[in-house]
Amino acid sequence: MISDKLIQIATANEEPDWFIQKRQAAFDLIDKLALPEIQRFNYRNWQMLPEITKIISNPITEQADYVLTDIFEAIKKYPELIQKYYMNQVIKADENKFTAYHTAFLNSGIFLYVPKNTVIAKPIEINLIQNADEPFVSHILIVAEENTQFSFIQKMTTQGDQKAVANCIVEIVAKANSVIKYAAVDELGQNVTSYLSRRASVGQNAYVDWSIGLMNDGNTIADFDTDLYGEGSHSEIKVVDITSDRQQEGVNTRVTNYGKHSIGHINQRGVIMDRSRLVFNGIGHIIHGASGANAEQQNRVLMMSSKARGDANPILLIDENDVIAGHAASVGQVDAKQLYYLMSRGIDEKTAQRMVIRGFLGDVLVAIPSKEIREQLVQTIERKLENGQQISEN
Amino acid sequence: MATLEVKDLHVEIEDEERKTRKEILKGVNLKMETGEIHAIMGPNGTGKSTLSQTIMGQTNYHVTQGDILLNGESILEMPVDERARKGLFLAMQYPAEIQGVTNAEFLRAAINARRPENDQISVMDFLKELDKNLELLDMSQSMTERYLNEGFSGGEKKRNEILQLLMIKPNFALLDEIDSGLDIDALKVVSKGVNSMRSDNFGALIITHYQRLLNYIKPDVVHVMMGGRIVKTGEANLAERLEDEGYAGLRDELGLDVKLVDED
Repeated sequence: MISDKLIQIATANEEPDWFIQKRQAAFDLIDKLALPEIQRFNYRNWQMLPEITKIISNPITEQADYVLTDIFEAIKKYPELIQKYYMNQVIKADENKFTAYHTAFLNSGIFLYVPKNTVIAKPIEINLIQNADEPFVSHILIVAEENTQFSFIQKMTTQGDQKAVANCIVEIVAKANSVIKYAAVDELGQNVTSYLSRRASVGQNAYVDWSIGLMNDGNTIADFDTDLYGEGSHSEIKVVDITSDRQQEGVNTRVTNYGKHSIGHINQRGVIMDRSRLVFNGIGHIIHGASGANAEQQNRVLMMSSKARGDANPILLIDENDVIAGHAASVGQVDAKQLYYLMSRGIDEKTAQRMVIRGFLGDVLVAIPSKEIREQLVQTIERKLENGQQISEN
Repeated sequence: MATLEVKDLHVEIEDEERKTRKEILKGVNLKMETGEIHAIMGPNGTGKSTLSQTIMGQTNYHVTQGDILLNGESILEMPVDERARKGLFLAMQYPAEIQGVTNAEFLRAAINARRPENDQISVMDFLKELDKNLELLDMSQSMTERYLNEGFSGGEKKRNEILQLLMIKPNFALLDEIDSGLDIDALKVVSKGVNSMRSDNFGALIITHYQRLLNYIKPDVVHVMMGGRIVKTGEANLAERLEDEGYAGLRDELGLDVKLVDED
C-alpha cells in the first residue's frame, strides 16, 4: 500500500491520476526488487529509501525554440510526451529497487524537449541544489528529436550538513542524427548517500557525448549506461572521479552495442585518497547482430594513499564476431619522476601532487568539449584534492 | 654573492632489482661562486649526472660521506623543492612529461613558489617576461599553452628547460648535458639563453661530454671527472686540450687507475 502521505503530497501537487497511479505501481515494487548490482562492491547496508515530505519546484525561464520546464509542469502541459518517455523507454521503473523508489517518490525534476531540426547554439545550463533536510529524488528527462544538436550542462550541489539521500536519474532519448553533449559536475555533500543513474538511448547515426565529473563527497552508487540501438550510433563516455576521507563509491559504466557499426568508448579516471574506496566497472556488451561494432574502454585508478582501495574492472561481453573491442585497466601510484621534476622547480609536494593528478586526469579532461566546464571541473578537482590532502594530514 | 660547495662527497646509488648499492662518487670536492661558470667534463659513467642529481636532491642517490653547502648551510637534509627555492636549478637530461598542466601555468607556479603569498607575480609582468624569453629562445607562443613537455621533440624539451631557467632565475644552475641531441642552430639558441643569464647573481655548472658547447658558453673553470672524482681543474683551455688528447691521455698522464667505459 502506498503511504497516505505520499498520496497527499502528490494530490496537493495537482498531479493527474495516471501519474499518481504510476507512483503507486512503482511503490508496490520497491520491496520486491533487488538492489542494482555493482560488481565487487557491497553496499547492502546503506539506507537509501526514505519517504519524501514535499515537492520541490524548479523555476525555469521559458524558451522559444524548445521546451525546458519543471517536470511537474511538464506532466500537466505535455502529458503525452511524459507518458511516452518518463521511466518508460530508456529506464524502466521495474528495473531495480532504486528505479522503483525513484518513480514512487519523485519530488524534483526537469524536462527538456528539443523539436526536430533544432540546433541550440548556447549550452543549456541547469543548476540543481539539494537541500539536505529533504530526500532529493530528482529526474532529468531529455528528448532530442531527429537532427537536433545541443549541449546540456548539469551541476548538482548540496545545501546543509544533515544526513540525506539523493536518488537522481537522467534519461536521454537521442533520436536519429541528433548530437548531444552532456556534461555533469556532481558535487553532492559529505553526508549525502547517492544513487546516480544516467542513461541514453541512442538512435541511428546519433551521437551522445558524456563528460561526467563525479566529485561527490559522500557515498555514491553510480550507473552510467548507454544503449547504442541505432545503426552507426556513437557515444563517448568520460568519467573523472575523486574519492577522499572514508568515502565509498561504486561506479558501473556500461555501453551496449545493439546497432551495426555502433561505436562506444569508455574512458574513466579515478583518484583515491585517504581511506576511501572506489570500484570502477567498465562494461562493454556487444549484442549478437551488431556487426562492425566498436567497444573500447580504459579504466584507470591512481592511489594517493596506501590505505585507499581501488579496483578497475573491465568487463567485456561479446556475442558477435565481426567487432573491434579492447580494454585497458590499471591501479597505480603517483609517478615519482613527474613529482620530482615539478618539485625541482620549487613547487611544494602537495601542489606538485595535485598537478600530477591533473595530468593523470588530463586525458579525460581534454576530451570535455566545453572549455567552461573543463575549467570549472579543474577548480572543483583542486578543491577536492586540497580537502583530501588536509584530511590525510590530520 | 652566493656560494655552492661540495665537500668530499661520496654517493651510492641503489640497484632496485639486485637490492645492492654501488658507490658512484668517491670524494668530490668543488667550490663555486655566483658570477662564475664552471664546466665538468668527463667520460661516460664517471658520475657527472650523479653529481648534479645529488646536489638537486634526487632521493635515489644516497650521500654516505661529505656535505653539500649552499651559502655555508648544509642542504643534505632538505627536500628537492626546498633546495630549488633556496636558489638551485637543474636543467635535466630527460625532463618529465606532464599532461593536463600547461607550460605557462607550470612556469607561474614555479615562479610564485619562491615568492611570498602576498607578492605573487602579476599576470602582466609574467606575460611580459615570458614573451621576452620566448623571443630570445626563438620559441613560439603556442609552446606555452601546450602541456608540459608533452609530445615535445628532444630539442624543444631542451629549449623548454632553458626557458624555465630564464623565468625562474636561480642563483645556481646545473645544466646536465643540455647539448645532447641538439643541432648546431639549437645549440646556439640554448647557449644564447644561458649567456643572457650571466651576472654577479648567477653561476652555472655545465655538464658535458664535448668541448663543442664550451665554444658557445665560455667557462671560467673546467673540471675533469674520472672514476667518481674530480681529477683535474683548469681554465677554459683545458677543455680544448681534452678535445685533442682525449680522456685516456689525461688519465695516463695523471697515472690514474680508472677504466673508461667506452674504451673496449
